Amino acid sequence: MSAVINENAGSLDDVTDGAISIKDVVKIYDPDGAAVMAVDHCSIEIPAGEICMIVGPSGCGKTTLLNAIAGFHGITSGSIHLDGELLCGPQKPQAEPGSDRIVVFQNGALFPWKTNLDNIAFGPMMAGKMSKAEIYEKARGMMADAGLSGTENNYPGEVSSGLRRRVEIVRALMNDPKVLLFDEPYRALDSLTKSVMHEALLEIYYRNKVTIFFITHDLEEAIFLGHRLIIMSSRPCKPKKIVEVDIPHPRDYSVLTSTRFREIMNEAKDVVHEEAQKAFEAGEKEG
Amino acid sequence: MPDPANNSEILRALKSAMPFQMVPDNLIQEIAGICTQQSYDSGQKIYDLGDVADDVFIVVSGSVQHVLSTQTDAGKHEKTMRGGDVFGWAAVLEGQSTRLAVTVSIEPTQVLRINGKGLIQVFKSEPAVGDVVMTRFATLINREFYVPRSIADQVPSFKQALGASSLQGSEVTTMALTVYRISTWIKSPRPYLMLIGFAFFLGFWMLSVEVWQLPRFVDMPGPTEVFTEWFSEDPYYGLSVYTPEYYKHIGISLRRIAFAFFLATGLGVPLGLFLGWSKTFREFIFPLFEVLRPIPVLAWVPLAIIIFSGSETPVVFLTFLASFFATTLNTMLGVESIDESYSRAAYCLGASRWQTFVHVVIPGAMPYIFTGLQISIGVAWFSLVAGEMVSGQYGLGYVINTAYMMIEYPKIIIGMITLGVVGYTTSAMVRMMGDYLMQWRVRELALGDN
Repeated sequence: MSAVINENAGSLDDVTDGAISIKDVVKIYDPDGAAVMAVDHCSIEIPAGEICMIVGPSGCGKTTLLNAIAGFHGITSGSIHLDGELLCGPQKPQAEPGSDRIVVFQNGALFPWKTNLDNIAFGPMMAGKMSKAEIYEKARGMMADAGLSGTENNYPGEVSSGLRRRVEIVRALMNDPKVLLFDEPYRALDSLTKSVMHEALLEIYYRNKVTIFFITHDLEEAIFLGHRLIIMSSRPCKPKKIVEVDIPHPRDYSVLTSTRFREIMNEAKDVVHEEAQKAFEAGEKEG
Repeated sequence: MPDPANNSEILRALKSAMPFQMVPDNLIQEIAGICTQQSYDSGQKIYDLGDVADDVFIVVSGSVQHVLSTQTDAGKHEKTMRGGDVFGWAAVLEGQSTRLAVTVSIEPTQVLRINGKGLIQVFKSEPAVGDVVMTRFATLINREFYVPRSIADQVPSFKQALGASSLQGSEVTTMALTVYRISTWIKSPRPYLMLIGFAFFLGFWMLSVEVWQLPRFVDMPGPTEVFTEWFSEDPYYGLSVYTPEYYKHIGISLRRIAFAFFLATGLGVPLGLFLGWSKTFREFIFPLFEVLRPIPVLAWVPLAIIIFSGSETPVVFLTFLASFFATTLNTMLGVESIDESYSRAAYCLGASRWQTFVHVVIPGAMPYIFTGLQISIGVAWFSLVAGEMVSGQYGLGYVINTAYMMIEYPKIIIGMITLGVVGYTTSAMVRMMGDYLMQWRVRELALGDN
């Protein structure tokens, strides 16, 4: 890996686009009169090109925040800006979904009826700004870079789940997005595949620096991938503790056994555990 | 001990080759240990047909002309190998000790040679990785040369004996899949159970009517009588496979079915798609639809005869009606069943609402649509016979009904069996059409079988 990736891999200096600014966001669900606060006065600043890991127990409202950025639903108050431009705010409760912010879904959302190549070509095809030949050429090139050559004409259902996740990331990157939004994409994978996926994701990231907003409840995953961990409190969701991960990029799996990794793990673990406990008890009460 | 600069070059070359891309670094190091580098001049032969197959080759730079022996029955014999391409795979095939191709370097070429036996040894230590590499190998061989399964099957497997798993990852063509399915079907107990089922039914019919002559079965024709009549050149009741009349009835029934089915599909699928897609449209149409749907086709008969003139249109209308409801409803359910993340993904990737409809909603609903069409063709036959019994001239329902009135009982059974056969055929055609249009699903299910 070190032969391919340059020394500059971890630096964010050359990244200019993709700064997210979340200010005082509140989201209240009101399904049947009983208002439930999912996100509570949440403010997060994410510099361009950062891998920002949002860590919290399942069901704490992290996905609500992600959906607000993606434009799948609105917010109750507050505002979200991307590179200074308003995505949603007081006058405009819901952002427009767009190819500058692409979501990689929890269960994967490759279209099973399109081949891997056609999935990857989908975004530019819809935009219609490039010719078909150009799009396919770019798609094949990006697939080759990501080690996906040979699976172009397979349908997603025919390849392994690890491979599918990579195809999905490449599909997002085809559109030159500013931000990638990951909604616990590796949740269903076994730990071995997961470790391969993490390295593959970093490798892709080093080649295409984009801001990554990554939701997870797996602390090891969070520390391995992230520049920064934002540990969320559970229900309502708001940042509770920010942990800087000062392990230099490029990283590979050897960092998992490093002392610094353990130190950061210890620093974050107690907070995460406490929140998980709270979420568990809240769940008990409701049940 | 290779020098480090050389070693990193070998590693890079290995990683550039498709089958090895997923191999973890420690294993790549091990493989690199059994690699040697070699250069060839322009026009130099690397190996010939029938040579001992010892090494696998990866092209580092330059290019190699690879001509596969005509004995391999491959779909494509010639290929130019360039940087990152792998050839010489005979060295790892099971039961293959000699070369299957001639290879000549076209320009000054650098290659990496990996000892085949050594490679298999390395993979035996890591069977999981070995299997991934070999599956990719099989895919590669299959894709680049369209070679028959017999060769791809020689690719060794480390975890388990290669059987159904050879299907995985390789390009499964419809034809190969059909052959594979038929061969497994014949090997399974299913066809024999099916024959036994038919035999039981025929036996019961024969015994109850012809041998025991049970009281309620007195007027019922036995199988001997029916089949003699059905295949008689000079049928007593005037209807057999030799009379043009028989085919006229089938033809007219089929024409009515085709008319009604295509009309129902043409109207029902778009209507179902819009019902599922637009909430407003659904509020407007669906309640009305739900009230009309439970009315049995037979209840429409008088109205159909009053509204439509002649004998043909009422029958087609009745046939259409049942099909239409089944198709529309299933299509609507199909749209509703689509996982929301697919349309969200499409919006994220910049698709407009209409593009999402075309690229996500329609293909996503396709499995349900075809389930609907299967039901639709079934109920079409049902309502057709009902319609033909009441109104109309010709048709299989008409045959059954008139045979009853004229006391020509064997004709009833001939009509019924014919309906069964023709009905089954049309529904098989609909299913095949669905498989053809949904290759992705066929391939997914084929893998799921393993």
